[in-house]
Amino acid sequence: MQNPPDISATAFNIIRFSEVPSETNAVRWLFVSRRCMHCDDAGCMKICPAPGALYKTAEGAVAFNKDKCIGCKLCVAGCPFDVPRYDAQNKIGKCDLCAGRIAEGMSPACTKTCPTGALKFGNRDELIAGAKQAGYGKVYGELDLGGLGTIYAFKDAPKLYGMNESPAIPESVIFWHNVLKPLALIGLGGAVAGALIHYAVIGPHKDEEVK
Amino acid sequence: MGEMVRKASTEEIVNHWILAISCILLIITGYAFLFQLKQVGAVFGGFNGMKVVHNWAGVVFIVSLLATLFHYLHESLTFDADDWAWIKMGGGYLSRSAKKTPPMGKLNPGQKLYYLAILAAGIAIAVSGFAIWLLPSTRPVTLASHLVHNLAFILFVVAIPTHAYLGTLANPGTFRIMVYGTVPIEWARKKYPKWMKEIGKM
Repeated sequence: MQNPPDISATAFNIIRFSEVPSETNAVRWLFVSRRCMHCDDAGCMKICPAPGALYKTAEGAVAFNKDKCIGCKLCVAGCPFDVPRYDAQNKIGKCDLCAGRIAEGMSPACTKTCPTGALKFGNRDELIAGAKQAGYGKVYGELDLGGLGTIYAFKDAPKLYGMNESPAIPESVIFWHNVLKPLALIGLGGAVAGALIHYAVIGPHKDEEVK
Repeated sequence: MGEMVRKASTEEIVNHWILAISCILLIITGYAFLFQLKQVGAVFGGFNGMKVVHNWAGVVFIVSLLATLFHYLHESLTFDADDWAWIKMGGGYLSRSAKKTPPMGKLNPGQKLYYLAILAAGIAIAVSGFAIWLLPSTRPVTLASHLVHNLAFILFVVAIPTHAYLGTLANPGTFRIMVYGTVPIEWARKKYPKWMKEIGKM
């Protein structure tokens, strides 16, 4: 059994294994580091109502501030990868690419402890170029959601690793952001302007005099 | 001013003020959440405090809105031929000159439709709000609630300022109903002849 079974508010990164069919071996295990993907266009940040609760670090990681988090959990619904988790105090907890360590000039704990170099931290363009040189035709996350901060060089189809082939921010969130938010301003402005114009042009209601 | 007639009971006046204040508070904090307005959040001691205010103002709002069922629902569900004629001529609001409007009851059809819209949107925004607040986050439910909450919000930000304008500047003499509950009898005979007939004061 997978243990811990899933990422949590304190388990920012787990290595998830998938047992997949194989023609040559009795078993075939595929491993993936499951954690925040640090989207460039992040659904969690788009839907979050609390300023500063989720923010981008200089390196492009999506980090969080528990003091600013209001515990609404909208980020859980807005995330294309089901990453945000909440602790017992109802505050967000997720991988922040070890923002504190990076700020001190260190590399993230996962890449620091990884003994085989399967996890690497560095310049994104160089990592992608390196993967392509090593013969990986496609790099998972290269272009999705404006470019993911966590990218994978998979030897096989992403879905065999349990990864979504075409991750996207939920359409209702995009609709809300692009249409409903502007409408909320246009609606209020239109109602106020309409009232002012009505008052100036037509004026207060007049009843026909009753004889 | 002469003889007065009571249009709104004390209970209706008090409840309408509770509804109005909670609603405006919800709209202001709602905009602050929608656009991450830090200055507004600071008024409530930060966004955590503002969330508490928003959620509990929502509780006050829905209780107050449900109380209005006893005040305005019955009247708002009855439309007669005069009401339809009133709707056809836009209630006389679209003309600069005085237009002969059909005789009205206690509420005109604009007020009835407004009430029904606010009731529906109010229930929708409250139910979706409670879902976001209290249910564990499950993607389809949270996303649907978020969408409904924001759709209903748009109706509110259009309808409330319009309602406030129509109840004050657009209809001089109307606002006192929200304060005193009474209007001059001559004025009432002009505005609500059918209602006055109903209560035997015509």
